[in-house]
Amino acid sequence: MATILAVDDSNSMRQMVSFTLKQAGHDVTEAADGVEALELAKKSSFNLVISDVNMPKMDGLTLIKQLRTLPSYKFTPLLMLTTESGSDKKQEGKAAGATGWIVKPFNPDQLLSTVNRVLG
Amino acid sequence: MQHLVRAPDGLQQPPVLRGFEHIRRYWDRANHTFAAKILPGEFYVTRSDEAVITALGSCVSACIRDRVSGIGGMNHFMLPEVAGGASDDAVCTSTAARYGSFAMEQLINEIIKAGGRRENLEVKLAGGGRVIANMTADIGGKNIRFAEEYLHNEGLEISGSCLGGTSPRRVVYFPATGKVRVKKLGGQAVANEERVYQDRISHQKIEGDVELF
Repeated sequence: MATILAVDDSNSMRQMVSFTLKQAGHDVTEAADGVEALELAKKSSFNLVISDVNMPKMDGLTLIKQLRTLPSYKFTPLLMLTTESGSDKKQEGKAAGATGWIVKPFNPDQLLSTVNRVLG
Repeated sequence: MQHLVRAPDGLQQPPVLRGFEHIRRYWDRANHTFAAKILPGEFYVTRSDEAVITALGSCVSACIRDRVSGIGGMNHFMLPEVAGGASDDAVCTSTAARYGSFAMEQLINEIIKAGGRRENLEVKLAGGGRVIANMTADIGGKNIRFAEEYLHNEGLEISGSCLGGTSPRRVVYFPATGKVRVKKLGGQAVANEERVYQDRISHQKIEGDVELF
């Protein structure tokens, strides 16, 4: 079981991600944008962050960059879950410090196997 | 073929946004406008004064735009029918819900990427007819319910709709103004095209790529 922060501006997406992770026994906290996520991440320490890219207030790539500057998130797995499939965006994600890139449509089995891999 | 007609002199086809180069675009003489025609499963977003056109049977199209900037577009989808999927349907992560959510999110994300703002979004819905013969289930109705529930869940209000009925329809959407023109269509062509699409999406895996850095 891991504590996971799920970040997405879409309610439907957050519900799907949350539902999938909770079914697998994880403890999930939700955030609707990067600003909210960063605040929550500072308050407690999550084992994993899964974030969308395009979001209002603060996008996912900025969130990842910000998280990587915090000592407690230097080595935490940070996964992007996004509709963005372009290789340039992926490179941006890698440069920002993301651990991996999952392209939507969302697939529960795929998410869980990726989560298990990065949590080691 | 009106599609092959050249635009009046002096009128230039607006630029296409990145990622939509595969969409068929032409001068539509009937509506006196440049247009992009989308097929089942496709979507299109524009920042220019051009129409987005499609033909709908039991599929639905969400016509979404930023009412301030006029950036907007349209999708065209139906939910896949998975064998033995009835029990699965109740779950928020069902194959149908995942496919439908993706169709909606893709459109909204591209509009926002093109410069639209979420708080300015204006949404109209069309389609969901009961047009496929020999079908006992109301597939169109299911597609309508999905789109309505999705939009409600996302806090997006529906400002206009042309839904249900038994005829296929041609939908012409003008993101620049928000206008939607709907015309009833006859024949079986739309239903046939949808059946091929339905079959395709019902057998494909609903997932994207994973890359670990």
